[in-house]
Amino acid sequence: MARTLMRFTGVGGQGVLLAGEIFAAAKIKTGGYGLKTATYTSQVRGGATVVDITLDDEEIYYPYANDGEIDFMLSVAQVSYNLFKNGVSEGGIIVVEPNLVKPTDEDRKRWKIIEIPIITIAKEEVGNVITQSVVALAIANTFMKAIDRQVLIDTMLSKVPEKVHALNKKAFDLGEKYAKEAGA
Amino acid sequence: MNNREIISTGNDLSAIAAVDAGCMFFGGYPITPSSEVMHTISDLLPEVGGACIQMEDEIGGVAAAIGASMSGVRSMTATSGPGISLKAENLGLAQMAEVPLVVVNVMRGGPSTGLPTRVSQGDVAQAKNPSHGDYKSITLCAGNLAECYTETVRAFNLADRFMQPVFVLLDETIGHMHGKAMIPTEEEVKAGIKLRKTFDGPAEEYHPYGVEQDEAAVLNPMFQGYRYHFTGLHHDRNGFPTEEIETCRKLIERLFHKVEAHQDEIDSYEEYMMDDAEIMIIAYGSVSLAAKEAIRHLRKDGIKAGLFRPITLWPSPVSAIRKYTDKISKVLCVELNIGQYRDEIQRASGRLDIEGLFKVNGRPLSPYEIVNKVKEL
Repeated sequence: MARTLMRFTGVGGQGVLLAGEIFAAAKIKTGGYGLKTATYTSQVRGGATVVDITLDDEEIYYPYANDGEIDFMLSVAQVSYNLFKNGVSEGGIIVVEPNLVKPTDEDRKRWKIIEIPIITIAKEEVGNVITQSVVALAIANTFMKAIDRQVLIDTMLSKVPEKVHALNKKAFDLGEKYAKEAGA
Repeated sequence: MNNREIISTGNDLSAIAAVDAGCMFFGGYPITPSSEVMHTISDLLPEVGGACIQMEDEIGGVAAAIGASMSGVRSMTATSGPGISLKAENLGLAQMAEVPLVVVNVMRGGPSTGLPTRVSQGDVAQAKNPSHGDYKSITLCAGNLAECYTETVRAFNLADRFMQPVFVLLDETIGHMHGKAMIPTEEEVKAGIKLRKTFDGPAEEYHPYGVEQDEAAVLNPMFQGYRYHFTGLHHDRNGFPTEEIETCRKLIERLFHKVEAHQDEIDSYEEYMMDDAEIMIIAYGSVSLAAKEAIRHLRKDGIKAGLFRPITLWPSPVSAIRKYTDKISKVLCVELNIGQYRDEIQRASGRLDIEGLFKVNGRPLSPYEIVNKVKEL
């Protein structure tokens, strides 16, 4: 496998960090290397947050995604979308929450922009907004096929309390379903 | 060695290492980007019978840690640059009175409150001399996740060996990055613990500071039958204040010499693709990760670059640096500050033509920035 670079962006407090940790841990479980870094502002809530995920079969040194090399980005906030979209490679995939992020026409020519209402899905279909990071995790993996599906689910479930396993599994399945419908 | 796999962050690994190394007390005050060290150790210490206390501020934090160490336990604090500034006076006390202590500094942008959540290496010069007066700092710098663990362990052993604070520098990137680390087992770490010397002869023959000029004080834990005075003033062999000319000279010279005379026990560095290197890149901490990636790119382009990475920053590994700077003409120091360690490389190498690539806007240096700079040389 060549190096996979993914970027999750949002604003502080949305919980975009967890998906990165799950990806890294799942890749390591399969014998590879995975790194997650998070960059955030000193604002407690509302500052642009970016999580870079690097997955590789070979050892990874530099833990951030180089601008222009990112294969996949997911964004749930306009401010972060604007700040970080240019890191995505030409023709790369950007998944946005259409209620919160409005890409320009130019953006749509440059990247493959997919609209999935991640937060609405988490809030209304899964029933808990906190599960948005698991919805996002499933969407990213369905597009990128970075990790064996079952390994990723197992890793995800190992990181959440048992009483919410069913809820998070539902979130994962819904994310996967929406991603497939969007062409993954 | 290093066959325990753990998926974690640098900050958490540092906390886990401390407990594995026998640390029983943490005194501190949380500050970004070091807070997770305290958060994690506050969970771990009670499980082993230790204690973690959040004091009213950073000054109280280090003071409590020093007090715990005086009573004989391995003790630690963690903070970032602004916290070190506040702790400086007490760190000077620990140098003067010879109190072993591990101080983890997860570096963020400065000066002052600076850039709280952003990466920097701006505290390298501060670590050499955080407090006024003459003493010889021991400062270790983790360059990957595993070293957040191993260097914290090493810091505890060095603190007890040399009876002084030992800094472990992380930076925001290393402290917060999350991934796989291969580290020694807890049993291996426990087997390697070397506690401070103690005196067990007759109490009237005990002179804690009356040691050879290349040795550290022998401070028995307080409240265990051996009495001595504890002060930041110049002091005699029993710790009592004095202005006697020779005693004062010998005391401060000894603080220097106890470290200098045993530098071989402290030196640590990594040489990466240096065997045939025609360009020497010097980097430490998270910047060394970008440098390694840059060297992979440069080698593909036929440019023979290598990395020299000091792990012990203070005292600097002078002879290892010189081995390369004496024969390699192109030397580039890459740092997230404006040349704080390049100054030391210039001093160690005796050369003023050491190139620099520096960044101070709170963002990491990318491998490509290093590649481009090397190609310009």
